[in-house]
Amino acid sequence: MAATQDAKGKGEGGDQNFDYMFKLLIIGNSSVGKTSFLFRYADDAFTSAFVSTVGIDFKVKTVYKNEKRIKLQIWDTAGQERYRTITTAYYRGAMGFILMYDITNEESFGAVQDWATQIKTYSWDNAQVVLAGNKCDMEEERVVSVDSGRLLAEQLGFEFFETSAKDNVNVKQTFERLVDLICDKMSESLDTDPAVTTGAATAKLSDSAPPLQQQGCNC
Amino acid sequence: MGSNVKSNEIPLQKNTLWTSLRTTLQKGPAPAPRRNAASVQPSIFSTLMRPNVPNPKDFIPLYCDCMSKACSRTQEYLLFKDPEDKFHPSPEVLTQIFLMTYISQSIHLNMTDSFNCTVMTPQQRILLGADWVWAILDKPTKNPRIQIAVQVLHMANGEGVVENYPRESGTESLQMAQRESSNKTVCERMVDFCASVGKECYALFLFLGRRNDAGNIYGVLSNNFQAAIGKCDNIDRDLIENFFKGSKYLHTPTGMLQSIISKRDQEALTLLIKFS
Ligand SMILES: Nc1nc2c(ncn2[C@@H]2O[C@H](COP(=O)(O)OP(=O)(O)OP(=O)(O)O)[C@@H](O)[C@H]2O)c(=O)[nH]1
Ligand SMILES: [Mg+2]
Repeated sequence: MAATQDAKGKGEGGDQNFDYMFKLLIIGNSSVGKTSFLFRYADDAFTSAFVSTVGIDFKVKTVYKNEKRIKLQIWDTAGQERYRTITTAYYRGAMGFILMYDITNEESFGAVQDWATQIKTYSWDNAQVVLAGNKCDMEEERVVSVDSGRLLAEQLGFEFFETSAKDNVNVKQTFERLVDLICDKMSESLDTDPAVTTGAATAKLSDSAPPLQQQGCNC
Repeated sequence: MGSNVKSNEIPLQKNTLWTSLRTTLQKGPAPAPRRNAASVQPSIFSTLMRPNVPNPKDFIPLYCDCMSKACSRTQEYLLFKDPEDKFHPSPEVLTQIFLMTYISQSIHLNMTDSFNCTVMTPQQRILLGADWVWAILDKPTKNPRIQIAVQVLHMANGEGVVENYPRESGTESLQMAQRESSNKTVCERMVDFCASVGKECYALFLFLGRRNDAGNIYGVLSNNFQAAIGKCDNIDRDLIENFFKGSKYLHTPTGMLQSIISKRDQEALTLLIKFS
């Protein structure tokens, strides 16, 4: 019953169909594969045509963790510089980021540091980040080694995956890891900071999104 | 609806041959859009020309050709007189007819490397207020140099105006998008979006019919609508339609693109256009 409601997401119950709502953002240079990655995760599809994203877009996907329904609102940002004003406006209130580069494109890897700075500047301090080196199916054209990806992630304090939206490698895993990290962070701050349970931090967390439930995340 | 579109495919092809001949021959200033290209039969010589080899820089006549096709196709439905009053194509359907005709012609003319059209997803239509975005692309990089975000405004069956017609509001993610942007009108959202990109991003409100002229297609284009935000309570259809009262000069689609291309950096530009 609940599952049907979720699938349709309609009617009065539409917004109550989840225990938690996480706002996630995918960022990184243009053409690294952000839209393809989300398309693979949400719709299990891939197309090789490139349609550069205009401004911003999002998709919704519900995941289950320890019998809790977690609604993921996943924002797909445009990588082109011209949209920086509009995309950074959506950083506020994001609980997790997938910062993506393309293993066949040196420049996109070089830009990771700048993207990390953008996260620091515009988002909530406790936002969790996973670094994703996408297009790992293109081994012949690789210019960024797995090790340099892993090393940079370590330096920045991020988790790391190499992924392929095309061959469906580590796509689900990246999202699941990010959700785990957010859940850990939530229960951590609930343990240490009683103010959080009264809604102070959750208000920040959810921002314009519906408020989170006020018990800890048991995931 | 689908079968209607199909049944017109053959004349469309004929026109295209004629058009490709015309655009290959003409090297001078871009011509005004042809209104009744539909009535012109293709010359026998047009079949001897290699089709689809337009000069990549010369997208203006190609754009005009696409617009002329999209407008006349849409007008067939806008002007349709139904003796039994049974057909009322929705705003959504009219937008789709316009856009599908435009897109199929632009692909046919092979112009999308220099002038492309990105159709917004239902979520983006709510968040950004645009139905689609045209872009003049820089040649080697294919990065957009100039953009035109387009929002279609409709008339209700002949007379009244459709205010904020429901943009596929059913699904959950669309409700979410609505919530994200509920404090602004859909017109304001597009103006904000364009302003955030800069002076090379124009907002074009495309009127499929205007008050007192329900059968023609007009546009108001500006990179400076945000100047009106400070002065008015809110930006809505009435405010934009009022632009037609202040000015009697209407640009052609060619004139519109030429003005945009020749504009100096950071300059404000506002134009009224008659497309049909
Ligand atoms: N081989 C391969 N190609 C991919 C992969 N992911 C994306 N692509 C291709 O890379 C191109 C760019 O992908 P997009 O997902 O549109 O890139 P984006 O990061 O969303 O780009 P912007 O919207 O401009 O920021 C497209 O042609 C995709 O088909 C992948 O894992 N492997
Ligand atoms: Mg994209």
